[in-house]
Amino acid sequence: MKKWIILLVSTCLLSISIFAVPTVSIMIQAAAGGVNSQEVTWFNQWIPKIETDLGIKINLITLGVSEEDFNAKLALEIKGGGGPDIIWLDGFMTPEFASAGYLHPIDATATIPEWQYFYPSMKAYGSYNGKVYNIITDTDVRMIYYNKELFQKAGIPVPWQPHSWNDILKTALILKQKLPGVTPLQLDAGTGMGEATTMQGFYMVLLGAGGNLYDWNTGKWIIGSPALTAAANFYRDVYITDKVGDPEYQLTPGGREQTFKAFQQGKIAMYIEGTWLYTSVMNPSNTSWGIPNRDEIIGWAAMPGRGNPGDPKYVSISGGSGFVINANSKNVALDEEVLKYLFYVEPVDSLFELKPSILPSPIYTDFSMIVNENKYIAETSKLLEYSTYRPALPVYDQISYQVQVLTEKLVSGMSVDQALAQYASAVTNIVGKQNVEILP
Amino acid sequence: MKNGFFNSKSGIIIVFLIPAFILIGVFLIFPAFWEFYLSMTNESLMGISAVHPQFVGISNFIDVLTDPSFYNSLVVTFIFVLESAIIGQAGLGMLLSLLTYRKKIFRTLVQVVAVLAWIIPDSVVAYLWIAFLDKNAGTFNNLLALLGLARTNWFYRYPLTTIVIFNIWRGTAFSMLMFSAAFDMIPPSYLEVADVMGVSWWRKFKDIIFPNLKRVFFSDLILITLWTFNVFTPYLLTQGGPGTATEILPIYIYLNAFQNFKIGYGAAISVIVLLINLVLASVYFTLSKEKEGISL
Repeated sequence: MKKWIILLVSTCLLSISIFAVPTVSIMIQAAAGGVNSQEVTWFNQWIPKIETDLGIKINLITLGVSEEDFNAKLALEIKGGGGPDIIWLDGFMTPEFASAGYLHPIDATATIPEWQYFYPSMKAYGSYNGKVYNIITDTDVRMIYYNKELFQKAGIPVPWQPHSWNDILKTALILKQKLPGVTPLQLDAGTGMGEATTMQGFYMVLLGAGGNLYDWNTGKWIIGSPALTAAANFYRDVYITDKVGDPEYQLTPGGREQTFKAFQQGKIAMYIEGTWLYTSVMNPSNTSWGIPNRDEIIGWAAMPGRGNPGDPKYVSISGGSGFVINANSKNVALDEEVLKYLFYVEPVDSLFELKPSILPSPIYTDFSMIVNENKYIAETSKLLEYSTYRPALPVYDQISYQVQVLTEKLVSGMSVDQALAQYASAVTNIVGKQNVEILP
Repeated sequence: MKNGFFNSKSGIIIVFLIPAFILIGVFLIFPAFWEFYLSMTNESLMGISAVHPQFVGISNFIDVLTDPSFYNSLVVTFIFVLESAIIGQAGLGMLLSLLTYRKKIFRTLVQVVAVLAWIIPDSVVAYLWIAFLDKNAGTFNNLLALLGLARTNWFYRYPLTTIVIFNIWRGTAFSMLMFSAAFDMIPPSYLEVADVMGVSWWRKFKDIIFPNLKRVFFSDLILITLWTFNVFTPYLLTQGGPGTATEILPIYIYLNAFQNFKIGYGAAISVIVLLINLVLASVYFTLSKEKEGISL
């Protein structure tokens, strides 16, 4: 009888102690050994420390799915009244999520001591309508990566730096001729590649012709312009006229992962992508697509403008992600405690060590050996001067989808005029006639 | 007590039916009406209209009916249903059950294989097929390469054909089981007499087998047509692509509602699909009633 009571009491105590420990759940788009695997490693390093120091339990949810599926699942969960407390969310989705009422505004100044030293652009990138929703952990730039071994095989001198679209196409044609079986250029296209198509694909080309998707002066979406036509023509040159890109990668499900594999195996020579490709995908620590001797064989060049007078010399566009708090979270104060911890110099440094990126504040870089020793980041950070951001508007995601559809049609062989006309009518349908314009 | 509600025949019937009606009401009728309501709003998963959806009347329906990609989906779906369900599953199911008629061991073997393909979960099946057809590492392309044939990216070169074959493989078991069971109900003496009389196989099929099979045949067609019309598994193989080549209606709805976040628009397409389903079902019901008692 006594044993019985002891058992009962201890069970009760145990269950109370379990329920008494407050839990914070964190969801990230990553998988051990797969996409963003370094983030999982990082959390596994820091979670035990945070748990001990704050006396809480952290439940890490990893989802190794595409960004589109990740966002859709997240939105459905939050709309349904649930979802994880803290999410590592791509910064460009902040306006969409915040305007839907899915995110809890963060009192960044009070919460994160380092916040006041963040670059203004990073503060703005995580804000919507004057409130901070996303504390940005990293930003990036975009460029052309190339495989030095393949270039040398084809007799192209390295280091290589193109100065116009023509330089890129010429190089690609040499590669095509000299190295059969190698895809000369990967320029993202199609809906399967998701946001990557818009950002590292179409935007990089469009900016090079001096164009944009959105007119900040008038607040209207551009549905027709010489730059749009030029960008669409470049896609047509790459995929249809010169056939230096492979439409199969763009249109096959899982094509993005296949291009990573192909780049790793030396079957793609040039790849237009962001910092992330170098520091995460090709990172020797990545078991799926890592390149062991990455630093020796992968070179990078700034993406040139079209090359006409008046065109920008180089172009880049920056993104980045950060931490947001779910509007349904029960204990925001505790979530903020966790965020505060994650933004201390030490965790940020250790994340940089695993997955280098351009950090959101000089406070992390100025005195950090790890950061200062990283030549890749130091060199590519110079591109920030040429870099720009995507329009931070709730409707951006829908426009971006139409850009993906547009490039999909171009690589499938539709004429530039027809594809652009369909793009114009689709965008007009989304934002209304009063919010679009055609530039001469 | 004797003449009470629960003792009357209709009373008992009603009592027994109540749980079923509650389930149908909660899980079928209510969602259908809710969907109809959603289709009249601009409800979205993201942005401002996720917080304040507005009533937009029938404008979603107008948008759907004037969208060329809706008609593309409709055409793709009809080809998919016709080829994979009606010709493929029903045809192959009929053929297999004919070939295995009264061959016990052979039939068991074929049924085991067919049923296996039918009962494996969707995600597993999709993974198996991707692994089977992958261009560089897939089993099928490896076999082709061994034979000296060119490797082919099947999902890219022959997307619709690939998912048609996939769906035939996936669903033939059901038709085969239905037809086999129906065959067993035909008195063997009919066919034996016909054999003695030296009747051709076509006459046997036309005059003995098919008339006895008709009801099963039509219920099978109704079921597999509706299932195939609403099947989502091809999404796991092709995601509707390349381009819109395999964008059957369920995928078209999913892409609009959950990738494009337009819940209201997605609901409007769903309502239209629901109506098409009702029409299809009633056509089959009418046909099966008319055919009764008439020989081919």
